[in-house]
Amino acid sequence: MDQKEIYQLLAEKLGDAALGFNDEGVEAYADVTPEIIAEACEFLRVDERLQFNQLMCLSGIDWDGLDENGKGKSVKILGYTDEGQPETSDYVAEGDFGVVYSLYSHSQRHKFTLRVRTPRDKASVPTVSKVWSTAAWHEREAWDLLGIRFEGHSDLRRILLEEHWVGHPLRKDYQMPDNWDGVPLNGQPYCENPFPTPVITPDETPDKPAGDDPAEG
Amino acid sequence: MSKNTTPPEGYDVQREQMLDFKVPEQLVRVLDEDGRSDAKNFILTTVDEVFNWARLSSIWPVTFGLACCAIEMMATSATRYDIDRFGAGAFRATPRQADLMIVSGTVTAKMAARLKLIYDQMPEPKWVIAMGSCAIGGGPYFKYGYHVVKGVDFLVPVDVYVPGCPPRPEVLLEGLMRLQDKIRGRKGPFVTPKWITDYAKKIPYRK
Repeated sequence: MDQKEIYQLLAEKLGDAALGFNDEGVEAYADVTPEIIAEACEFLRVDERLQFNQLMCLSGIDWDGLDENGKGKSVKILGYTDEGQPETSDYVAEGDFGVVYSLYSHSQRHKFTLRVRTPRDKASVPTVSKVWSTAAWHEREAWDLLGIRFEGHSDLRRILLEEHWVGHPLRKDYQMPDNWDGVPLNGQPYCENPFPTPVITPDETPDKPAGDDPAEG
Repeated sequence: MSKNTTPPEGYDVQREQMLDFKVPEQLVRVLDEDGRSDAKNFILTTVDEVFNWARLSSIWPVTFGLACCAIEMMATSATRYDIDRFGAGAFRATPRQADLMIVSGTVTAKMAARLKLIYDQMPEPKWVIAMGSCAIGGGPYFKYGYHVVKGVDFLVPVDVYVPGCPPRPEVLLEGLMRLQDKIRGRKGPFVTPKWITDYAKKIPYRK
């Protein structure tokens, strides 16, 4: 089935909660409200024409680096300096969080993408692990790395990092830790940095018009 | 076959096979001037040298492949770059029977406590090779690795650093040979230096 038709079926079922459809990018995706996501996924899996039996991927998004047009701007991720100490800054991230669901149907051989957006201070999305049980681990990863809570999840704890790690590392304002539980995580430089970041000074000479002899520079 | 394959009279097949190898002249004289077998059956050495030779000829590593360098370690122990010809081919699954820990791969904070546990379970004498840039100094994850220990020498005392990302099998064998030189140069009974036990006590470890 076409992506547009799938979205139309979904919009009939959900009504107001289906917020929009966008197929200008590489993949077509549909925006939905977070409250309705569990019913939407149940419908997508169960309906005979759709039969999305596989959740290919569930990803979390931190939307902090978007400017007002919605294009991404580059946010400086804090890391460790060349001397190995963690960089610090006072930057506080402000964007929303989002969750993207990539679905695939083995019997109908079509795929679809759903997107959900939640505000940063109350990042809470209903779980879809009752619909596809693989979502349990994907949601644990989103909780671990971004801090998005999933209501109704049976076992929401950290999966990649250690259980009592503090902080959510893939947020845009995460600052690298110096040590963890006594294990040192800062580095020590063994030699000078052989590839230092070059300091680019803008060139002040006025541009020559085209048509000059290239040998003159 | 029509050719006559019986050896001539007085020909000792076993002795000929034993002596059939090429040895540089200046090291060993097996045959003396009459062509008889070696009448010089004495070797003069020290106990240290014999023990060191025994230790370096049979360094058994514990399987501690963490990441991509483990593939190169497997390639080193495969047939082309055979590590078994150095005596180090018997990778033990248990640290209790191993003398060498080749830390090959990125050490994360989650793995750090377990690495320390494995290192503590190895009996003396034990050595550590830090293989690959992640084990030496954090590797490509030095700048943005929030969960990476920047070098295994924050956790255990390292004897040989083998650089590379990943190091080729020949380079790992070179590192092993440098470790063998280090062992060959040791003197005295094997006592862990006090600074190592003091440093090791300060490293944390999950109970």
